[in-house]
Amino acid sequence: MQFDTAYALETVPIILQAAGTTIGVAVASCFGAALLGFAWEILRRSGRIMSYVMRFVIDCIRSTPVLAQIYFIYFVLPYYGIRLPALLVGILCLSFYYSGYLAEVFRAGIDMIHHGQMEAAKALGLSRRHTIAFIIAPQMLRNIAAPLGNYFVSILKATPYLAVIAVPEMLGSALDIAAETFRYAEPLFVSAVIFLGLAFVISQLVAQMERRLMASHRR
Amino acid sequence: MAGDPAVQFVAVDKWYGSFQVLRGIDLSVGRGERIVICGPSGSGKSTLIRCINGLERHGAGRILVNGTEITGQSRTIHALRQDVGMVFQHFNLFPHLTVIGNCTLALTKSRKIGGKEARDIAMHYLARVRIPEQADKYPAQLSGGQQQRVAIARALCLNPKIMLFDEPTSALDPEMIREVLDVMVSLAQDGMTMLCVTHEMGFAKTVADRVVFMDQGLIVEQAPPEDFFANPREERSRHFLRQLLN
Repeated sequence: MQFDTAYALETVPIILQAAGTTIGVAVASCFGAALLGFAWEILRRSGRIMSYVMRFVIDCIRSTPVLAQIYFIYFVLPYYGIRLPALLVGILCLSFYYSGYLAEVFRAGIDMIHHGQMEAAKALGLSRRHTIAFIIAPQMLRNIAAPLGNYFVSILKATPYLAVIAVPEMLGSALDIAAETFRYAEPLFVSAVIFLGLAFVISQLVAQMERRLMASHRR
Repeated sequence: MAGDPAVQFVAVDKWYGSFQVLRGIDLSVGRGERIVICGPSGSGKSTLIRCINGLERHGAGRILVNGTEITGQSRTIHALRQDVGMVFQHFNLFPHLTVIGNCTLALTKSRKIGGKEARDIAMHYLARVRIPEQADKYPAQLSGGQQQRVAIARALCLNPKIMLFDEPTSALDPEMIREVLDVMVSLAQDGMTMLCVTHEMGFAKTVADRVVFMDQGLIVEQAPPEDFFANPREERSRHFLRQLLN
């Protein structure tokens, strides 16, 4: 079977349409995972008992397959009367699953901040909330821009999992096309190229963010 | 209130685990008084001044700042820190903020002062430490002496009644010590209450009302600088001064 370039081009508009869903889910999940992960990490640092509790919670999140979490939320919760649209379940699941990993990344980023920074903030009478928002978060982001970008790319690449609950994302739509025409190479190739492009855009954005955050270190 | 000492330690003890860092500290600092605290490393001098703004909690005894006792309540500690400025050995400037950003952060966030007014206050104190032209640079772009002067300006912006200095020149190259000490001397001449952990004996002679010598968690001796340096009463003080001179 030969690769049919004309057919590949035909599939582009349909797959691009699904790419919109993929981008939306990925962006929302990146924000969700970052916010949740940061919340876990701040909670973990808010006391001795919380540090044990949150370490356990974060390990649980990371130690169960994302696919299991997706199935669980989508198929089990309705038994308890909680019925959520597939798209929302998908975003929630990816946010939740990756929040466990991002919490670990944030932990490393915060550990790298010199303790003198927190002392200076205290001595200036800054509240804990202000210290987190204006001292810790920006310095943490600067420390972890590169691994954070890697996880954002991972989140993008995890969106095809959502095909199992019929979220119309990109890989699923490519397979739908393939199932109708029995031509797999072209739609899969097109979706792979789009994934590649999106991942490239994410890493460029993260690199740009890193450059901006590092501006203060240039002499 | 007006008659209260600025800082008063009454029989203060502090332990790190089983190690006692402060032993029965009694110390009273009057308003406008300048105290230089010296002693060998590990003598508890940094711990002592860090207790004054609640960076360290004391164990037994009482510490009163402007007549108010320091308790564990976060509200009293927060109120306390409004009146006490601190300058650290390693400056602890916020590296992601410009000089002016370092100075205005607490003003705009904690004190809710408007951006324009906060900037004016900051520029006033940056001029006071003779560094207004660096306002829009980042700390990494400044020399150590300049950074420490920014740190002093940052603390002054909050208009503290008491200033604590924790070895402010120990991390500086020799040629930069002068510019920081000059700022501190002029601050002292304006009547600021100052507690300064330092081994700069020239500074102590110029501005200190009293030198407090500590060793192993105890205040061994306190005396006006002319007495302390000319004829220290205690053997441990003499030993320390001999080592400092060599």
